[in-house]
Amino acid sequence: MSIIVGYVPTNVGEAAVTAAIAEAKLRQEELLIVNSSRAGALVDKNTASAQDLERILGNAAQAGVQAKVLESSYRDDLAEEFLGLADQHGVSLIVIGLRQRSQVGKFIMGSHAQRILLQAQHPVLAVKPE
Amino acid sequence: MEFFGPVLDGFNVVLDPTNLLYCLLGVVVGMLIGVLPGLGPAATIAILLPMTYGVEPVTAIIMLAGIFYGAQYGGTITSVLLRLPGEASSVVTVFDGYVMAKQGRAGTALGIAAIGSFFGATISIIGLTFLAPLVASFALDFGPPEYTALAMLGILLVATISGGTKIKAIIAAAVGLFLATIGRDGFTGAERFTFGNLSLADGIDFVPIAMGLFGVGEILYNLEERHRAATAPMKVSNVWPKGKDIKEASGAIGRGSVLGFFLGILPGGGATIASLASYAMEKKTAKDPSRFGKGAIEGVAGPESANNAAATSSFIPLLTLGIPANATMAIIFGALLIQGITPGPQLISNDPQLFWGVVNSMYIGNILLLIMSIPLIGVFVRILRIRAAILAPITALITMLGAYTIRNSMFDVLLVVIFGAIGYLMKKFGFEPGPLVLAFVLGSLLESNLRRSLLVLEGDPTGFFTRPISATLLVLFVFVAVWPMIKSVIDKRRSGSLAALATQEKEKENA
Amino acid sequence: MDAKKAEIKQEKVPADLDVMPNADEEETLTPEELAAQWEAEAPDPAGPIANLLSSLVVLALSVTGMVISLGLGLGTPAAPAAGMWPFIITLIAAVMSVVQIIVGRTGGKDGEKFSSMSWYAVIGFATLILMVVLMPLIGFEIPSLLLCFVWMRWLGGERWRSATIYSILIVGAFYAIFIAALGTTIPRLF
Repeated sequence: MSIIVGYVPTNVGEAAVTAAIAEAKLRQEELLIVNSSRAGALVDKNTASAQDLERILGNAAQAGVQAKVLESSYRDDLAEEFLGLADQHGVSLIVIGLRQRSQVGKFIMGSHAQRILLQAQHPVLAVKPE
Repeated sequence: MEFFGPVLDGFNVVLDPTNLLYCLLGVVVGMLIGVLPGLGPAATIAILLPMTYGVEPVTAIIMLAGIFYGAQYGGTITSVLLRLPGEASSVVTVFDGYVMAKQGRAGTALGIAAIGSFFGATISIIGLTFLAPLVASFALDFGPPEYTALAMLGILLVATISGGTKIKAIIAAAVGLFLATIGRDGFTGAERFTFGNLSLADGIDFVPIAMGLFGVGEILYNLEERHRAATAPMKVSNVWPKGKDIKEASGAIGRGSVLGFFLGILPGGGATIASLASYAMEKKTAKDPSRFGKGAIEGVAGPESANNAAATSSFIPLLTLGIPANATMAIIFGALLIQGITPGPQLISNDPQLFWGVVNSMYIGNILLLIMSIPLIGVFVRILRIRAAILAPITALITMLGAYTIRNSMFDVLLVVIFGAIGYLMKKFGFEPGPLVLAFVLGSLLESNLRRSLLVLEGDPTGFFTRPISATLLVLFVFVAVWPMIKSVIDKRRSGSLAALATQEKEKENA
Repeated sequence: MDAKKAEIKQEKVPADLDVMPNADEEETLTPEELAAQWEAEAPDPAGPIANLLSSLVVLALSVTGMVISLGLGLGTPAAPAAGMWPFIITLIAAVMSVVQIIVGRTGGKDGEKFSSMSWYAVIGFATLILMVVLMPLIGFEIPSLLLCFVWMRWLGGERWRSATIYSILIVGAFYAIFIAALGTTIPRLF
């Protein structure tokens, strides 16, 4: 059994990974870190750089957690792809970061986090940054 | 001294505010499409042809030229930062440029590329300034047979040197020549291949073909998404290279510029071949060739100087002889025809303002590029974040609406879409659109010169060989045509003898 | 307690999800290896059937052209008629297409195979034709909106909401530039 966390190089994503590492240590499970980027552009601000990934893997190792990075890309539905990965790996917990968004903001721009929360088959841990 | 009069007049033309504005517009658009994957300078120039209708010929060509050499600057950015060549001529830059970026020297690589590009273009323009009038005066003695031979040689060179199989390129050229015959025959008045359609009676207009084949064709082709890995946005600092770097690269810049200048003049040559040749040359002349591929600054400086030098010098055959050296030049040739100007040796003497205006605009354009390319790198990286899904309909709409504005005719838009489909199919089946457009543009000129020659020579084709220039050109033509076959025979013999040698060695060992 | 630094491993994911190679591992590729990687990632060549088909089409068209040119009259070398030049060209094209059929019968490295993604190009073409048909009737605004929306939503994978918003913005911008600023006479509704 493993824990899957969605990572983007923002403070929200960092908070999610920190919480995920703590959970993984508690449960003594493997941590799967997913960084998914939007297909279609050459540069995507949600793509983690190699240094970012090395750093969080280092943090995981320091905490004694076995961690692995899954990189992939999605066309239009991040939630679907992320949940697909979760199902495929048979995870016991999903960890995602939540951003402060107003009601209107969520409506206009949609929310990956909201979709994951509502459609997941596994327990979800939603983390807000400090 | 009378030589410099027109040159200085040219600067007056360039410093006209409208021309400066269009020059700036051209180089910015050029850099942009050089950075963005999907559209190349040929496609962009084709799409923007409708813009040239409302302005002076000089202004139009200044802008189109700016797009062309501006794109050479832009292609470097993605090569260095993303390991993805923005243009074919920037492929070589990836080898050392990206490694330099990984070593934290992205800024140095980009900076030296900009400096090298500027230097290469400037050398090329100076060469152009002196060489072009010479070539033009030499060519003033050309008669119909010489033009025929020259046009044939030009088409053949572009067909053989372009990518893909030579046979398909020749077929594409033949189709282009054929399309040029549609319409009323100038000599006899007969209607050819019009099938009674009135719109075809005057022949197919060049602009819809160019916009369709290159513009819509590229757009349709890009709709087939090729998944490319996205990268994290990167910050580039220290974009001005240190003095030590500049010194190290100076030799490469000098060599690359000269090499690029000469390779660009050849029809079919151009920026891509120049960058490849420069890389090879730098590797050969380096004291420590093993540095290449690991961040050797000459591996960036040389090819970048060469490709800009070649892009600039490829204007020479067009402006002095009226022979386009590659597909983009063919489109610019068409743009000049739209304006009622027939490029040829008489261009320099008949319209010196146009000639020197365009040439001198290149100095200004390159200065603008050098000033802008370094600070704008951050902007370009942000632009790279725009998804292709958003850019595609924008370019499609620009093309469609622009096509309508040519003659306020829906038929033109329909032609553009149809040729777009043809261009897409050509790409899928391995036919190059470049030779087709080139042959189309030269087609009517080639035919009229051929028929005039036959009239002058009274029907005797061997007459071509009695005239020294046309004879030389035709011999070259035959040589270029049969060279691939000779080469493959030589290669087979060589590998055959190598195999024999290898078996001999084995037998010796076993003995 | 694993003190070793964890490795960045590649995961095999199902075919419908793309996997990106990790940037670090690519650093050590030489130019030759890089070129080889690009070639491996490049789309498949068109293949022998495509070669045959396209060459046959060209052959058919050029033979037709030859016939029509003959009809226009060839004339003599001293006095070429209207059909002479088209005949020469279509002859060259016909001969070359036959050569291509022979040379390319085992398939070559040129061209690209049609893939399932090629349907996008077909859809794109269809929307462009639709625009040509509809523009004279109802102006450019609505067909452009439709085109933008279809291209972004289905061909581009944008979300419903962002596709709509961007489409409206883009058509608005084109209206502002082409109609208001440049004053062109493109058929329009408003």
